[in-house]
Amino acid sequence: MIQYFIRRILLMIPTFLGSTLLIFVILQLTPGGPLEQTIQRLQMGNMSGGEISGATGDMMTGGSSILPESALKELNRFYGFDKPIWQRYLIWLGVWPREIRHRDLTFEPGETTLNKYVGYGTYLNLERRENDLMITDESGAVPSDWKGRIDKIKDDGTVEAVIYQTEFSGILTGNLGTSYTYAQPVTEVMAPRFKISIFYGLSGLILMYLICIPLGIKKALNHGTPFDFVSSVIVFVGYSIPGWALGGVLLVLFGGGSFWDIFPLGGFRSPMEIWETLSWWQKILDQLHHAILPIIAWTIGSFATMTTLMKNSLLENLSQDYIRTAFAKGLSEKRVVWVHAMRNSLIPIAARIGQNIGVIISGSYFIERVFNIDGFGKMGYQAILDRDYPITLGFLVIVVLIRLIGNILSDLALATVDPRIRFK
Amino acid sequence: MKWPKFFKKHIDDSEEISLSIYRKRWQKFKTMKRGYYSFVILIILYIISFFLPFLINNRALVVKYEDQLYFPVIQGYIEGTTFGQDVPGETNYRLLKQTWEESDSPNWLILPPYPYSPYEDITVEGNKMFDPPNSEHWLGTDNTGRDVFARLCYAFNISISFALVLTVLNYIIGILIGGSMGYFGGKFDLFFQRIIEIWSSMPILYVIIILVSIMKPSFLLLIGIYTIVNWISMTYLMRAEFYREKAKDYVAAALSMGQSDFKVMFKHILPNSLVPVITFFPFAVVMGILALVGLDYLGFGMPPPTPSWGQMLDVGLSNITKWWMVFAPVTAQFLTLLCIVFIGEGVREAFDPKVYSRLR
Repeated sequence: MIQYFIRRILLMIPTFLGSTLLIFVILQLTPGGPLEQTIQRLQMGNMSGGEISGATGDMMTGGSSILPESALKELNRFYGFDKPIWQRYLIWLGVWPREIRHRDLTFEPGETTLNKYVGYGTYLNLERRENDLMITDESGAVPSDWKGRIDKIKDDGTVEAVIYQTEFSGILTGNLGTSYTYAQPVTEVMAPRFKISIFYGLSGLILMYLICIPLGIKKALNHGTPFDFVSSVIVFVGYSIPGWALGGVLLVLFGGGSFWDIFPLGGFRSPMEIWETLSWWQKILDQLHHAILPIIAWTIGSFATMTTLMKNSLLENLSQDYIRTAFAKGLSEKRVVWVHAMRNSLIPIAARIGQNIGVIISGSYFIERVFNIDGFGKMGYQAILDRDYPITLGFLVIVVLIRLIGNILSDLALATVDPRIRFK
Repeated sequence: MKWPKFFKKHIDDSEEISLSIYRKRWQKFKTMKRGYYSFVILIILYIISFFLPFLINNRALVVKYEDQLYFPVIQGYIEGTTFGQDVPGETNYRLLKQTWEESDSPNWLILPPYPYSPYEDITVEGNKMFDPPNSEHWLGTDNTGRDVFARLCYAFNISISFALVLTVLNYIIGILIGGSMGYFGGKFDLFFQRIIEIWSSMPILYVIIILVSIMKPSFLLLIGIYTIVNWISMTYLMRAEFYREKAKDYVAAALSMGQSDFKVMFKHILPNSLVPVITFFPFAVVMGILALVGLDYLGFGMPPPTPSWGQMLDVGLSNITKWWMVFAPVTAQFLTLLCIVFIGEGVREAFDPKVYSRLR
């Protein structure tokens, strides 16, 4: 069993690499990327604050004529677009050295040596030999941390070169890059938002299980009764209205628009100025007050599926022969239902834990947008609008990881509930 | 009169044998009242929705003006001056009708039963922004003065069409790839299994949003993108079906008679593995509609000004006091999906031979 899970976790690696590669390629090969966006923004200046999202590939050619070449190079380097895509992927993963601290050099025609101050009290001697760049420090030794290359030899004999340091930093080292829009490391942007989404997601998930399992059991035991029928209506509503749309309806009803003014219109908590003045129990109340509607929306997400699953699975088990045997042995109905049938009925429920965890995150961009909660999903959605690639990629990586871990969790839960399962 | 069981069996046999399994299932489905009536209602509404331009439109069906007949619904744009109306651009038929009726003119025109178009916005005289529901605009108007009821009805057709085309495409891909995976097995199977594993670990809707945000969405492109990302579930289902069926004797028999792989797959195995395909269909349609509503809500769906439920919801939720902008699309979507879910439930029951027997 432990062996099986170790193998499962190891198998996660190729899947993870495969999906990140796919995501990376999709994002990098598409036009209208961050580079073009920035160029466009610089061109337009303050001309219009409006539609930037329409950036297309042909903006690039128009851009280079207005922007100086050096600025374009700077941008290219900043976004890493001066490298082939496979290198960019490996750099992003953190297994290929990333170039940092670029220093530009220019050799005048005929000039072959340069002395350059690179900061940290260090001067480097640079010597050009045809297409190579030799770097030596003041003592004449070759420095270990600085590398260099010739960028371009111009027609008039001027040579442009660059020296840089390298480091391994990528998602494998926990560096998801720096967000273009927040100008903050991606991990720092994500952490507080992730907490918010997890708070809602987990509350929704727990509540969902607390409602669905007993309801499903009661429906199965009272199959065909008025109770079953009435609760089926609720289940059908759950099937036909996605959680976020229901959230919207609740917001219109109770958010103080045209009907009742019971709940706030959105947000995670009251604004900071008010929040600071509250005592601890007022804080709890305030949090709950803001959380009730979103949590209902989150709960409804997989409510219908899970209730039906629970009901059908219990019904199916109750019609099995071993239940007949248990009854025949003279066991009480309570014991038969709650001990014999229940354990087997929970198997499909347990198997779906992973999927439900995935739903929490994937459903979150709708609900967070409806309720204007500054959470993980909304961040991911906003990142697409802003073409903020580090955040988009980081978001995808985290979601993929959560799903992969969710799958393993499902298997673990399955193994706990079902002793027949021998993973081979 | 109550026949003994033995006799009853013989009497019924003659009828029952002649019925194919699908006929039997259809008859069983008909007995599921909820599902059957939902099916009938939905089909009728969907067919009607193709004739919406004749029912809900701001262009008149027929205009008789100075002994000449015009058919604006079919002919399209006709300038107001043609009918002696002093408006810039297109004729305002509602106004025209009013003027003619008031002046006892010999000219006449027939408007569609609901004389508002889904695209006619505030630029047309007499239209207001966020007009609450009233006798003229049954469900009010939206942020640009377009009639909500008209847009709701047109969006119904688009949503269902989208989901249907999407599901059929997914099925074709699923049956082709999944079938081959299950039937041929080996490296082909392994290769696609890995791909499926990778695809299924990705947040599908998010990938779609990324793709749509880059390209200009249109009906077909949206379907294309959605198909590219969403073919997995059906493929996996078909793989399992083909894999199971392949081991059965009738396949071996067909193969030993020299049938080609293609024929075995599509003539022999496919009809035997249709049960999950059919029972899954309504739910796949539900998913398609929900996906479209979601994408439209996020602004990554059909290009504006295409009528769509999601876009209306977006307007409604950003103008929370305009309750009809939220209730109308949610109700429309809810009723539509409810019908499909009922159908799905009926179909599932009709195809499922399992009858739950309960002790006590």
